[in-house]
Amino acid sequence: MNVYEVFLKKDGREEFRHVGAIEAATEDLALVLARESYARRAEGDLLWVVRRNHVISAEEDFVAPNADKPHRHHDGAAVASRRKAARESSSHKVAESADEVTH
Amino acid sequence: MARSWETMQEFEAFLNEGGLVEANDDMPDPYRQAVFTFIEMHANSELMGGLTERDWIPKTPGLRHKMAVLAKTQDEIGHGHLLYMVAADLGIKTRTQMLEDLFAGRSRFHNVFHYRAVTWGDQVAIAFLVDAAALLSQQAVFKNCSYGPYKRILRRIIAEEGFHMRLGEDRMMRIAEGTPRQRQMFQESLNRWFWPALQLFGPDSKPDDVLLRWHIKSERNEVLRDRWVQKFVPMLTGYGFTVPASELRWDDETRRWDVGPIDWAPLERTLAQGGPDSTRRIAEAADNWQRTAWVRAALSDGSDTASNGVDHASHMAAAAPV
Repeated sequence: MNVYEVFLKKDGREEFRHVGAIEAATEDLALVLARESYARRAEGDLLWVVRRNHVISAEEDFVAPNADKPHRHHDGAAVASRRKAARESSSHKVAESADEVTH
Repeated sequence: MARSWETMQEFEAFLNEGGLVEANDDMPDPYRQAVFTFIEMHANSELMGGLTERDWIPKTPGLRHKMAVLAKTQDEIGHGHLLYMVAADLGIKTRTQMLEDLFAGRSRFHNVFHYRAVTWGDQVAIAFLVDAAALLSQQAVFKNCSYGPYKRILRRIIAEEGFHMRLGEDRMMRIAEGTPRQRQMFQESLNRWFWPALQLFGPDSKPDDVLLRWHIKSERNEVLRDRWVQKFVPMLTGYGFTVPASELRWDDETRRWDVGPIDWAPLERTLAQGGPDSTRRIAEAADNWQRTAWVRAALSDGSDTASNGVDHASHMAAAAPV
């Protein structure tokens, strides 16, 4: 018997989501059991099952370095403050054209 | 193992900050055991409840309600299925071991399934009072449960239990609007089931309850029990039924219903498998397990159960990206 992880998707709206696991002897039975356990009331219209031992997993120590990459973000604060400074120091017309460019 | 904690203090600090524990975390053994025992009892209760429900499929009046009971039976057995999976992933017992323990009377299930439902009125009282009590406790667990896999599976269980509770209320209202004989039948069922349903919440939580301390449960038993009393006493009396509590009174000061002192001896007897119907129920469930062996054989490839703790394929080495 194998454990299968179960994923469901509401078509067009969400990503596939992990919903749980089931145990089955074959892939076909895994799909039937997953449907009868996790999609009893149209919780999704697309279904994946993946053998648990086929899931390649990485954990926090592997994923964590990407949480500290400020250079991959730009929150717009620097641009906004420069734009504001430009508006205040120069003519009305200059600030407006700068706005058009960024939009 | 994904995460580990040096000391219990560190682990508890993690829990107190709202941390969620996952199946492959190196959690402290007492926590693993406590969360396992809790989920195992829940799984057992779903299975025992589903078997009772099944008994009533042929006896349920009307095709629409018969189909609803069929669906409810599937839901309950399904909940058991999912919960045994989550429990097995903790690596303490396999599903087969849990079922064997249940049928040998070595593990627990909810007090209400140690009684026998003898009339349709009993089934209605169970669906109305007991399902609501179970739902109230499950919602309180779901709200803050520190064990991630249980919390996530509870979300769908609660959604389905909501259907069951509304079905119970629907049936109760039909009986309330029925003939004097039907109302009498339901009153008798109420007399049998009110106290077991109330006792499902258990006695007042102890101050040092680890289930609360480790955020497995988030509400004290007495708080949940009181919430149920405040909801169901006025509802039952509103439909003209008598709540079978001789010392029931409305406290004008606190603006609350008080059911009076609670006798916990019946609950204790069920926990020791000594309830009025415990022996028959357990034997019947064990017999059912034997009789359905051919179904499991047809669905099995002959190999043993695979879920004995979580073990993913590989753990990639940490190489920091730029």
